Amino acid sequence: MSAPPEQVTITIDDRSVSVPKGTGLVESALQAGIEIPVFCYEPRLGPPLGACRMCLVEIEGLPKLQAACTLSAQDGMVVRTSATSAQAADGQEGVLEFILLNHPLDCPDCDKGGECPLQDLTLRYGPGTSRMVVQKRTFDKPIPISPLIALDRERCILCYRCTRFSEQVAEDGQLVALNRGASSIIATFEDEPYRAHFSGNVIDLCPVGALTSTVYRFRARPWEIQNVPTVCAMCPVGCNVWATTREGKVARVLARNHPEVDGGWLCDKGRFAHDHLRAADRLTEPIRRIRMRGLVAVPWEEALDAADEGLRAAGASVCVAFSGGETVEQADALSRLVRQGLGADVALLPDDPDPALDAFRAPLAAIRSANVCLVVGDEPVLERAPIVDLWLRAARRGGAEVVTVGPAGAIAAPPGSAAAICAALAASSPPEELRELARDLREADRVALVWSGDDDTGGRHLAGLAAALELGEGSGAYFLPRTPNGRGVAQAWRAAGDGRGIDPSGDEALGALIVSGDEALRDTRVVALADRARFVLTTAMFMNEAAGQSHVILPGTGYLERDGTVVNLEGRSQRLRRTVEPPGWDELAFFAQLARRFGVDVDPWTRAGVDELAALPARSGTAPVVAAPAARGPQRAAGAGGDFELVRYRALFSGAAVERVPQLAFQRPAAEVELPGGDASRLHIATGERVVLRSGEVSRELAARVNRRLAPGVARVAEEHADGLADSVRIEKA
Amino acid sequence: MSELRDEIHAVARRYPARRSAVIPALRLAQERYGWLPPEAFREVAAALDLTPAYCKSVASFYDMFHLEPVGAHTVEICTNVSCALVGAQRTLEAFERELGIRAGETTRDGAVSLRTIECAGGCGWGPVVAVDHRYREPVRPEDVPAIVGELRRTTGGA
Ligand code: SF4
Ligand code: SF4
Ligand code: FES
Repeated sequence: MSAPPEQVTITIDDRSVSVPKGTGLVESALQAGIEIPVFCYEPRLGPPLGACRMCLVEIEGLPKLQAACTLSAQDGMVVRTSATSAQAADGQEGVLEFILLNHPLDCPDCDKGGECPLQDLTLRYGPGTSRMVVQKRTFDKPIPISPLIALDRERCILCYRCTRFSEQVAEDGQLVALNRGASSIIATFEDEPYRAHFSGNVIDLCPVGALTSTVYRFRARPWEIQNVPTVCAMCPVGCNVWATTREGKVARVLARNHPEVDGGWLCDKGRFAHDHLRAADRLTEPIRRIRMRGLVAVPWEEALDAADEGLRAAGASVCVAFSGGETVEQADALSRLVRQGLGADVALLPDDPDPALDAFRAPLAAIRSANVCLVVGDEPVLERAPIVDLWLRAARRGGAEVVTVGPAGAIAAPPGSAAAICAALAASSPPEELRELARDLREADRVALVWSGDDDTGGRHLAGLAAALELGEGSGAYFLPRTPNGRGVAQAWRAAGDGRGIDPSGDEALGALIVSGDEALRDTRVVALADRARFVLTTAMFMNEAAGQSHVILPGTGYLERDGTVVNLEGRSQRLRRTVEPPGWDELAFFAQLARRFGVDVDPWTRAGVDELAALPARSGTAPVVAAPAARGPQRAAGAGGDFELVRYRALFSGAAVERVPQLAFQRPAAEVELPGGDASRLHIATGERVVLRSGEVSRELAARVNRRLAPGVARVAEEHADGLADSVRIEKA
Repeated sequence: MSELRDEIHAVARRYPARRSAVIPALRLAQERYGWLPPEAFREVAAALDLTPAYCKSVASFYDMFHLEPVGAHTVEICTNVSCALVGAQRTLEAFERELGIRAGETTRDGAVSLRTIECAGGCGWGPVVAVDHRYREPVRPEDVPAIVGELRRTTGGA
């Protein structure tokens, strides 16, 4: 344990304040209840830049005004802000006059108007008039820097928040400043779209109306909106968000910094996918398949009767397929209906993470302060739980050793070998290529272990490694589930009965299948089950997803319309709030009623449970003993001829919601296959060339992309472009 | 263009981190193309594991990288204070007259680009003119026709 930091005392505007040594002046002033205005300063972007000079203060003993954001509190410092120093006030007024020289002042038709720091600070600290009499500089505006973001260069004050985010936080290197001094402009390369998972954060960061959201632009004014705190339930991170609503519709989603979970960042899926709530094929009424008439809209009571009847006829031959997006309360209602009401015991769970990891639970933010981070598994972290990728990058910038072991890892390992890697690292004498890593893991004070793959046993293997490394406080182990609340759903299912959900194998007829949610409808196992079921009851948001095999379809709700609890990948229970009304009953209300008809009492309301900034529960359980899986050789020979092992991953920008938001189309995975550098040059395949992937009767033509990080003999494709292909494919030029 | 890649890799080996080699790499690319077309940024970025946007942002900061095509020859005149005091403006005008273009332009035949630059570090011998990156100092208006004639001869143009 390090000693508590030394306290220093400084005087700001005649108020004295004590802060830990090293605290910035802006924060110190805040602690004394004094505002030092800023534009460019944003500690989450790395070291201060001092670009805008809005934060000028007078410091006793220094001849000139100083940029407060670049200084930290020193014992005995005497600071005067514009409140008590005429010199500082004059300086800030001058800075604002300068910033506004070329600013168009088109506030009336600026989307930022009313919530614009430049507007606010000009009012409070600015000169009120301008001496600028010549023509202002103009630019074409607005120009799209992507289908999601519009740039107005006239309004830009060159604070470099956006470019620092791109370079130093997301590290995508796409949004940059061109030229120098007064000619500087913000740009992408050759006007190509800013295509990156976190691009939307620059909108939140921009202190003026230079970067605005094309999805939100001109939809609302700040005085006619309400911001409702909730949680993003589009992936297992569970970022905290504000949903901005206007007239009962969600107009935008903003970050609501939970420092342990998301650090105030959102991915573009969470930020921009909300318009799926208004998709053209959104279901608003229950629908029933009626013989000779097809799918017909029916009243809720009739849907309830039909569901009742269909389930009763099935006896105990019932299976429920979860999507992993349900709230804990919804999953509980459904689980108890099935297990206690119908006496059935079969469920398809999209995730069933092993609880063993709870013994090594830690907030996601702990990754940032780890000395060594290990990532195993076949799926890219960025696609599965994007914010975790940001934490890993922050760790690396902070000096941590971040090692990926897998088909695209710094240490190459064949697909499906994550469990073997964990076992090998835990063993007393690891194989040659893992020895250095194993030593570093053992010697490090703080370690973060991440499993990014589809194997539910991953948590157990990771916990085995964590136990062998004797990870203590400050270290953490994280399993990344496939679905947003897969963890909470599995817990609810297990709690509702004593049997475990069993995979409904075999091919005998099934009495009834309950499909919960659009994502479940896309599961190939669910499609096969539906073929065997005499009665299919579906809840879904979108008609085109649900129409296929269902007998009764209930309009589903989106996470922004739900009240309830979701459990994120850390094991943190967070509260979803209903930000807007769903089109009809929500699933909880329906299933509570249905359960009552089968003699099970389910509360149709969500009880107030968890806090706004939910804390992480304490560690629980003990580390398990894991049997080491048979190790596969860590390195496989390159595919002979054109034979490759196919790794598929689920892209972040995929799924029923994303597909219904046209502005996100450019973010969806390109129809391409990634090939390792060595194999590609051996087969004379270059990036951009067309290739054909074949397995058995199935073939697929895609563009090639050479990825030098990929292990020899491995090809990688986004799931949606790998339809029907087997795990081993032959690849040749088209 | 794999040779450019090799040259860049060779330079990059002299630096502890690859990205530190971005300026020498851009120079190599400019030598290859005469200026820095989008393609050059893509190649430099690929060789150093950077993004083309980053490379362009670096190049655009510096005067000696050309983001637009330039003539076969370049004439650069310092117009900062020391050279200005000894008549840089008149030298510049002489070049403009002789070449028929303004500062910042290239002759229609692509032979010569003319531009003004910031201090070239030859303050004691102004006006300083860099012809194809070699300094001539001092250059007075009456020296200009001979220089232009020399450049025209070596491009074989009129
Ligand atoms: S676009 Fe906005 S965030 Fe970026 S530099 Fe300009 S003012 Fe700052
Ligand atoms: S990272 Fe996950 S939880 Fe966060 S905004 Fe994106 S989809 Fe939502
Ligand atoms: S906030 Fe201090 S210089 Fe910009």
